[in-house]
Amino acid sequence: MIETIRFWAIVALVAFGLFFTFVSVVGVIRLPDVYARSHTASQTDTLGAGLTLAAVALALGWQHATVYTVLLLFFVFITNPTAAHAIARSAAESGIVPYENTVDEEGESP
Amino acid sequence: MYNDGRAEGPTVATERLLVPLSETVTVRQTVGYAVRSGLERTDDLECHLVVAMPSDRELPEGTSEVDEAESLLSKAESWVEEDAEGSSVTVETAVLGADEYLFGPRDFARTFASYAAAHDVDRVVLDPEYQPGSTAGIIQPLERELEAAGLAYEEAPVERPARHERLIGDGTQRFDRLFATFVISYGFYMILGDPTYWFDWVTGAAVAGIVAATLANVTFTFPLDRVQSPLRTVRFALYIPYLLYEIVKANLAISVVILRPSMPIDPKLTRVDARVRSGLPLLALANSITLTPGTLTVRADDQRLIVHSLIADAREDLFDGSLERAVRFVFHGRDSAAIATPRERDDAEIIGGEEL
Repeated sequence: MIETIRFWAIVALVAFGLFFTFVSVVGVIRLPDVYARSHTASQTDTLGAGLTLAAVALALGWQHATVYTVLLLFFVFITNPTAAHAIARSAAESGIVPYENTVDEEGESP
Repeated sequence: MYNDGRAEGPTVATERLLVPLSETVTVRQTVGYAVRSGLERTDDLECHLVVAMPSDRELPEGTSEVDEAESLLSKAESWVEEDAEGSSVTVETAVLGADEYLFGPRDFARTFASYAAAHDVDRVVLDPEYQPGSTAGIIQPLERELEAAGLAYEEAPVERPARHERLIGDGTQRFDRLFATFVISYGFYMILGDPTYWFDWVTGAAVAGIVAATLANVTFTFPLDRVQSPLRTVRFALYIPYLLYEIVKANLAISVVILRPSMPIDPKLTRVDARVRSGLPLLALANSITLTPGTLTVRADDQRLIVHSLIADAREDLFDGSLERAVRFVFHGRDSAAIATPRERDDAEIIGGEEL
């Protein structure tokens, strides 16, 4: 019984992790400029990697290696905003003006 | 402020110096140099001693700073008398920035520049170790900002005690740093290793000892507090679940927007003046903002954060300053967390892309 619940919980977590990674990929393709894309690229790291690592922790069960997955998540959470900020900042320094909605409310890239 | 002016129009021979003070090992020498160099040029020296306060007097951390500033000023006043050795030196003292929140070097330079303009100051004598409040040393960027403000400055040639002495501080501070670094690295080693195996405890102690001896001064460049620092760690642990909740919430909101065929995004650049200290608190806030999808820190040169926001909801959250309050809670406790939102205190605005 407990094993069944655990199995399906792992499947659900992996599925949601994949879902958010998928959303992130869709966002990177659809969004108009580098700034907007940075927003959604960080989704892969936060929820995508977060949920998948939670699944890994659950699959490993109560053992020492589980601690590593938590640590892994911790480092992802430190490095992700650093990288996102570095990209956005260098974009700003290269003089890229952020895309803004004009008349069309579609939000498609011009 | 102690006083708000000088005598009527400038006399030709008078030399006016502005000396910003802070509690450093070289402040005494800086005052001495200012008086000596001033008296070499003219007989009629006017010395403006000022202390710039980083925080607002109204804020909880502001009141004790006022007391410290005033005691430093009265000390410095007597130093000037000592160094003048009978020559006529007029001393003016002032506490600057008591009614506002000074953020980075730019704000300090602006404050000094306006004081200099109001009092017709000729040049600024800077303490090379100048360090207002408890923020990290800001002398380099401050020089740049003073230049930008068009203020003549000069760094006092002081004899610094060897640098490591300043970083280490006195005996207890030194011990605290060693101890904290040791405990943290030992703990990390044991997490990676096997806590049930005696050999790991021995090697861990050796490694942590080496790490603490070599890196304690690099890890903690600020003084540790035996009560506050552990308390901050505990409050940070409380902050993490809150941050996770915010991240999940923002992730869902962004996902919905991206997956909708019409994709109703509304990207805007915003400026938010965060009321957190530079250094670790600012890093925590800027990173938390970036970590929540929908808001992205583009620039964090000083407390003036330039944040790109993707949807209106995320922007509203940013302007409500919930993350800022949480970071203030982590570093200053519950009293400091209760401040007005950036929107209410007029520190948040939408800016155009040109202002990057």
